[in-house]
Amino acid sequence: MRFIKQLSQVLILYGFFLVGGWLQSGLHIPLPGSILGLLLLWAALSLKVVSLKWVESGAYLFLSVLPVFFLPATVGVMNYGHVFTGKGFFLIPITIGSTFMTMWIASFVSQAIARRTEKRRAGSKCS
Amino acid sequence: MQLILLAILFIFLTIAIYSVMTLVYVKYHNPFLIPILTTTIALIIVLLLFNVPYETYMIGGKWIDKLLGPAIVALAIPLYKQRKLLKQYLYPILGGVTAGIIIGMVSGIFFAKILGFSKEIVLSILPKSITTPIAMQISDQLGGIPSLATVFVIIAGLVGVIFVQPFFNFSRIDSAIGRGIGLGVAAHALGTSKAIEYGEQEASMSSVAMTLSAILGSFLGPIIAWFFY
Repeated sequence: MRFIKQLSQVLILYGFFLVGGWLQSGLHIPLPGSILGLLLLWAALSLKVVSLKWVESGAYLFLSVLPVFFLPATVGVMNYGHVFTGKGFFLIPITIGSTFMTMWIASFVSQAIARRTEKRRAGSKCS
Repeated sequence: MQLILLAILFIFLTIAIYSVMTLVYVKYHNPFLIPILTTTIALIIVLLLFNVPYETYMIGGKWIDKLLGPAIVALAIPLYKQRKLLKQYLYPILGGVTAGIIIGMVSGIFFAKILGFSKEIVLSILPKSITTPIAMQISDQLGGIPSLATVFVIIAGLVGVIFVQPFFNFSRIDSAIGRGIGLGVAAHALGTSKAIEYGEQEASMSSVAMTLSAILGSFLGPIIAWFFY
């Protein structure tokens, strides 16, 4: 019974994915169909068109084994080993450096905005 | 008939190796042992040992690959469940995620282009800070190589997890918001697994930041790529 429930929930998720794909190809939206499906489902949940109960256990079934679904793609790197030889080695330090920059900017900006709003809140309380 | 048997064999092999590698990771909990990395390496070694080309493996692999799209849709659920947190910290989250995504994509493209890498490779490095399934779709849509994109994504995630503590000390990032968002934006799911070690607020911040940066990244990716090409 639980399996049938999860299976039907997975089918609902698949439905959102299909609709996202149709929207993408039909309206020529430059976003992956799966992201459109994600946004649609999020909107449907927020607008209470879809209840969390209808999709939750199916979704967590998917998410608990998420890495399995991209293994076929990661294995594909076996055809691209040559990219990282010679000059290609520099792609690794580029990725590392760029990741530090990303982390620093994201942390710094969010921390600064959060501190500023906290201060403003504290300030308005005093006055 | 032979094709069906091959497909079943490769699907079974993938799931079996992944299950074993997950057990290994649960036991030793070292970032270099994340199942996606170890399973990929193990699968490649098996294929090379038996002289199986990738195209043959994909007779089975493509069936697993087909489930990736609906799995991405499922990410809407954790994001929806965190809506209170998102609403409460809307500006710090949006600000940090947007700034991080833009700097991450622009710096990656910039350095790769300066060193004269081909367009295909540059467009594969672009989504490196975004969670693997969505990074693959972004690079694919832009004309990059999804398999290659996953390599950069994994490197970014490992950097985040391994160097995060000295980085936070050095850069004086000491709030739960700053730490969670930095980890989620720069190091996606791996960063989120690290954020759990810091605390509950860091973990939920990181998971919200990861999903939002995937969504925003698929909007901004084509725009940033367009500026460079």
